Amino acid sequence: MRNFIFLSVFLLSFAGFSQKTLPNINLKTFEGDKVNVADLTSNDKIAILSLWATWCVPCIKELDAINELYDEWKTQVDFEVYAISVDDSRSINRAKALVNGKGWEHNILLDTNHNLKRSLGASAIPVTIIVRNNKILYQHTGYRNGDEYELFEKLKTLSKE
Amino acid sequence: MKNIFYIIFLFFSSLIFSQNQPYIYGSFESNSQLLQNDQSLDFISPEDNFRSNNYFQINYQINNILAGIQYEGYLPSSLLGFYPELDNQNKITNYFIKIQNEKSDITVGSFYEQFGNGLIFRSWEDRQLGINNAIKGIKLKYYPSDNIELTALYGQQRDGFNYTASTIQGLNTEINLNQMLNLKEVDLSIGSSIVNRYQENGANDSIPSNVSAYGGRLNMYAGDFSLNIEGVIKDPDVIANENNLVSNRLYDGTALQVDLGYSKKGIGINTTFRRLENFNFYSDRLAEGNIYNQKTLSFTPTLSKQQDYLLTNIYVYNSQPRLVMNSIEKRSGEVGFQNDFYYTFDKDNLLGKYKTKIAFNFSYWSGIESTFNQDNSYDVKFIGNGDRYYRDLNLEIKNRWNSKLRTAITFLDVIIDKGITLGGPLGVQGDIKAKVGVIEANYLHANGKSSRGVLQHLWTKNDRKNWLGLVYEYGISSSVNVFVSDGWNYGRSDKIHYYNLGGSYSKNSTRVSLNYGRQRGGLICIGGVCRYVPESNGFNLNLSYSF
Repeated sequence: MRNFIFLSVFLLSFAGFSQKTLPNINLKTFEGDKVNVADLTSNDKIAILSLWATWCVPCIKELDAINELYDEWKTQVDFEVYAISVDDSRSINRAKALVNGKGWEHNILLDTNHNLKRSLGASAIPVTIIVRNNKILYQHTGYRNGDEYELFEKLKTLSKE
Repeated sequence: MKNIFYIIFLFFSSLIFSQNQPYIYGSFESNSQLLQNDQSLDFISPEDNFRSNNYFQINYQINNILAGIQYEGYLPSSLLGFYPELDNQNKITNYFIKIQNEKSDITVGSFYEQFGNGLIFRSWEDRQLGINNAIKGIKLKYYPSDNIELTALYGQQRDGFNYTASTIQGLNTEINLNQMLNLKEVDLSIGSSIVNRYQENGANDSIPSNVSAYGGRLNMYAGDFSLNIEGVIKDPDVIANENNLVSNRLYDGTALQVDLGYSKKGIGINTTFRRLENFNFYSDRLAEGNIYNQKTLSFTPTLSKQQDYLLTNIYVYNSQPRLVMNSIEKRSGEVGFQNDFYYTFDKDNLLGKYKTKIAFNFSYWSGIESTFNQDNSYDVKFIGNGDRYYRDLNLEIKNRWNSKLRTAITFLDVIIDKGITLGGPLGVQGDIKAKVGVIEANYLHANGKSSRGVLQHLWTKNDRKNWLGLVYEYGISSSVNVFVSDGWNYGRSDKIHYYNLGGSYSKNSTRVSLNYGRQRGGLICIGGVCRYVPESNGFNLNLSYSF
C-alpha cells in the first residue's frame, strides 16, 4: 500500500505537464477499416465524440437529439459528430441496423473491446466530449432531455476560441 | 513488486531520450454499499455491512511508449454477489508496458484482447460484473501491410488476485481483401484464430493437458447488405460441474454464428443465428459453469434484446452453451436466433412533424435436440426440436411531439423457462409467461429543468404475479439529477415494494451518485453476461473521476 501511494504521488507530480489528450488508439469502421482516434481532429477541426451502445437508452436519446438538430447547428459551426459504439459482440451486429434505421448522419466508429472507453476512464455511458487538435476541451457523462442545447452552446463558444 | 519498479525505471529512462512532452491519464472509480436488515425481504445484512469496490488506474505515455498500472481494493469486502476471492484484498492487479511503431507493437504485462467477435477468445474488464480476465504475459501485433494484422499472445489468465496455473497461447490473423482482390462493389475481410490452453493433468493420463480451439470468420458488406459468419471448433476435453470432473470421457465443442443484415437510410434489419454445442472454454478445466464468470476464454453472451426498464428486466435470458450430463438433467447446448427491425418514418406523419421511430425485436432460444446414450455419448441434430428456453417479442415506438415533449411506448411479451430465472434443471419445470407495457415521457421545462416519468406494468399468472412500476426523474441542471422509483409486486400476498431514491452529480469527468433503497434479487445482465445479485436493502455510493 505504501509503495502504491508513493508511486501515485510520484506519477501525479508529472500530471502538471500533461494536457488532456485523446490517446493513440485504433478504432474500426463497420467495414473493418482502421481509424486512429488521434487523427480525427487534426487541422483545427472541432468535433463531438460520443461513446454509446445499442442497449444504452440515454445514449440513443442524445444521438437522436443531436441528429435532429445537426443540419441547423451545422449552419452555425463547422463540426463533425463521431458516435463511437462500445457494443461488444452481443449487440454490434445490431448497431448498423440501428444507425441506419434511425437515419443518423453521424460518423460511426467501433470500440468493441473497450480500449478507448477504458482509457477515458468511462465507467458509465454516454460520455460526450468536444475535441479539437486531439485535445479534450469539454467532457460530460450522462444525458437528460435538453442537454443537447447546453452541448451546442459549449461547442459554439469553444469553436470561437 | 520488482516488476513495477522495472516499469517505472523504463518510464523514466525513456523520458531522458524523449523529445515530446509526456502525458499522464487515468481514472478512479469507487462503488460502495452500506447494507441494513430488511425483514420484508428476509434480508439479514452480512457482518461486513459496508462493502466497497475501488479501482485506480494511471497511464503514462511518451512517444511510442505507453505504460500503466491498475490498483484494486475490495475493502473490507467486495459488493454483495461479487467473486468472494476478492474480499478484503487490495493490490496492484494489472501493469503493462506497450511499445508501438508503425509496423508492430509489443505489450509486456497485463493486456486485454479479442479475436473476431470473441466466440473463441475475449479477455476484458467489466467492473459492474466483476470481470477482469486480463492475460499477464506478452502480446505481439504485426502489420505486414495495411490489410493484414497478425496477433500472437502468451501468458496466464487473471483469477481474482491470482493467476490460473494454465498457460494460454493464441494466434490471430485479420485480412482485409478489398485491395488485394481489387474489390469495388463489396467489402470483404476474413480472419482465423487458434487458442491453446496448457494445463497439467496431474496423475490422470486420460484427460488432455493441451486443449485448443480453432476459429474462422468472414465479414462481407455489399451495398445495403452485410453478412458475418464465424465458426469455432474445440478439441475434445472433459466436462466439469461445480469444480469436479463429470467423468474421464472427452467431448468436442462447436460454435457457429451467422449475422445477416440489410439497412439503408430509415430502415434497418438484422438477423443473428447462433448454435453453441458444448461450447465453453475456460483457462481452468474445472471452472466450467462457475457463477462468477471467472476464468473465461470464450465469450458467448446472451443474444436477445438488452432490457433496461425496471420491469422489462425481470425475466431475462442467460445463454446456455454447456453440455450437462447428470442424473437430473441432460442437455448439449443452445440454438436460436434474434431479429431486429428499425424504421424511421418520414418527417410528416400522423404523429407530428418530427420523425417517429419504431424498433421491433424478436428472439427464440432453445436446447439442441439430442439423444443421450447409455455409454455417456450423445447424438445431436443441427437444430431439431429441443426444449424452448426463451422467447420474446419487443415493440418500441418513439415520438417527439414538439421541442419540449418526447414519448416512448414499449411492449414486451416474454416466455422463459423457470429453470433460467429461478435455477434448477431446464425444460422440466414449466414456463413463466409475462407481458410488460411501458409508457415513458420526457419533458423539457421552460427554465431548462427537465422531467422524465415512466409508468410500467407487468402481467403474469406465474412466479411472483403482477407488478406495477413507477419512475420519476427530475433534472435540476445538466449536472444534477434526482429520482424516485418503485417496483411494486402487488400480485403477491406480501405486496412488496422495491423502492429507490437517489441523485447524481456529474461535471466534466467527475460523477457522483448516491441512492437508497431495495435491490430486487435476480440476474443482472450487462452486455449479455449475467451475474446473480441477492436481494438487499441499503445505500449505494458511486464515484468516478478521470484525468
